[in-house]
Amino acid sequence: MEAQTLATNLEQREITVRVKRFNEDKGEFWSEYKLSVDRFTQITEVLRRIKTEQDPTLAYRASCHMAVCGSCSMKINGEPRLACKTLALDVVKKFNTDVITLEPMDYFKPLKDLIVDMGDFYTRMFKVKPRLYPAEEVVKGVAEQRLKPEDQRELWKFAQCIWCGLCVSACPAVKEDERFLGPAAHAKGYRFLADPRDTLYEERLKILLDSSWRCTYCYQCFHVCPRDVEPVTTIKKTRAHTKFSKEKTDVMSTGERHVKAIYESIKETGILQEAKVYISTYGLATAITDMLHTMRNGKMKYALIREKKVNEIEQIRKLLGD
Amino acid sequence: MKVAYYPGCATHGLSKDVDIATKKVAELLGLELVEVEDWNCCGGGFLDEYDERAHVALNLRNLSKVEKMGLKKMATPCSVCLNSHRLATAKFSEDKEIRKEVTQRLQSASLQYNGTVDAEHIVWVLVRDVGVERIKSMVKRPLTNLKVGAYYGCQMLRPEQIMGFEPAYNPHSLEDLISATGATPVRFPMSTSCCGFPLMGSNPKGGLKLAYNVLSSARSAGADLVVHPCSLCHLQMDVTQFKVMEEFKTGWTMPTIYVTQLLAIAFGISPKELGLSRIALKALEERGIT
Repeated sequence: MEAQTLATNLEQREITVRVKRFNEDKGEFWSEYKLSVDRFTQITEVLRRIKTEQDPTLAYRASCHMAVCGSCSMKINGEPRLACKTLALDVVKKFNTDVITLEPMDYFKPLKDLIVDMGDFYTRMFKVKPRLYPAEEVVKGVAEQRLKPEDQRELWKFAQCIWCGLCVSACPAVKEDERFLGPAAHAKGYRFLADPRDTLYEERLKILLDSSWRCTYCYQCFHVCPRDVEPVTTIKKTRAHTKFSKEKTDVMSTGERHVKAIYESIKETGILQEAKVYISTYGLATAITDMLHTMRNGKMKYALIREKKVNEIEQIRKLLGD
Repeated sequence: MKVAYYPGCATHGLSKDVDIATKKVAELLGLELVEVEDWNCCGGGFLDEYDERAHVALNLRNLSKVEKMGLKKMATPCSVCLNSHRLATAKFSEDKEIRKEVTQRLQSASLQYNGTVDAEHIVWVLVRDVGVERIKSMVKRPLTNLKVGAYYGCQMLRPEQIMGFEPAYNPHSLEDLISATGATPVRFPMSTSCCGFPLMGSNPKGGLKLAYNVLSSARSAGADLVVHPCSLCHLQMDVTQFKVMEEFKTGWTMPTIYVTQLLAIAFGISPKELGLSRIALKALEERGIT
């Protein structure tokens, strides 16, 4: 019986693998391969077998095969993933198809087949000074480097980045805004910004704050990160440091006004009063212009609705920690 | 079937037409939506950056009200409200420090959350609980000549491990609903990209560009109109679409309506009665749908 179960579990299934390829001579083209996989076959193993058994010209990166080195990032049926952390039959099940499509990550320049130029990613990471700058006494060896358990708990999750680039490849704000550092750099930056052993707080604020207000909270980075780093959470936490910055750029000031107006509105009424928040954030002139757009589209009637406030407002204030 | 209904602030404000259509569709389908008693704002997707614990506590207040009402589900038409509540329950169950402080805050407000209720999207309730066949059976005016772009946006899908209804890179719920109306669903490259609304609070120019990207992607794919599942996408792409169009001097518009508005039209309700935008009314009229 046991042997039978094992045999069922190791059942082979034939899949078709379509690979989007690229080289400088031929440009973009697609290759198709067929092979049998079982429930243990990772996509990196699929690629290794294609390369060794069918097509030695196929180029891809892979090293550790255990989601640590961050080399094998690619799009698998359109989804940015680590090939080693993806089982072929899981993809078959999730997408309900025997065809697995492999493409290089978006955003980065393709070099050959599934290999992309990661230079842009490293530039972003180095902009945030991705290492600890300890106090002079610690460097001289006259003081100890101490980290409280509660501080370590705050930093641990955000320090697990393996520089795979998946979050940057999936980020819509990176593609549109060159002043946005991108999710991975923010996770790394916050990990040191919030580290009590680090001495570059002011400088890190200057590097991170303006950029943090350029994220669009689409949760792509949270979704695609193979190490559950949650870069978007670090961006939210970084924004909370804006109040400690003396210099504020436009996006910082607007963003700060906006979130403060939301907080005040909830504290006062329990709900988000759109018109009030809007005017506090953008000022009356912009609010009037937008009102005209709303009117032109026949939606002004909804702006005049009197919103129902929360009755038990004292409860709300207690929940806000007042 | 009876579920708690959490409209959220936008759905009771500038996106009121989302509320109108959702209630009409639910009534016709025999889905009883009971509004959460004295509900509060979820934080609009921003409050957690100001005070993470306050965000969790406020969202759990709504869910505790649903528990008190004796209901098992809280359906919302807004993806941001959905995301906000589900992130709050995930943090509450996973982070013991947050749980400790939030429990104290809830207790100080004489509230208790037992973890028996979570937020669900109205689309999930329609697809899974009401069922596509039942929806099909209510169609009085099949929208056979309409090509409808299925725009999922972000927060109903991601993070998949917390939203959990369908694969973020292979969603099908909106296409299922569009097909039920007789219309042809159109998947376009930016179907699951961001509409830019959350960026409007700090970098409006960047936010408008993201909205433009979605609308022009749907247009290039041949969609007559777009449906979406979020009261805040609605603000960005329906209520103030003229702003996007003016910024990019497009000379064209792309009607973008809420998914229950499409269902309501197919169920025979007139677009005017639903209070649709002028852009949407005009596009539907041109196709003989009045």
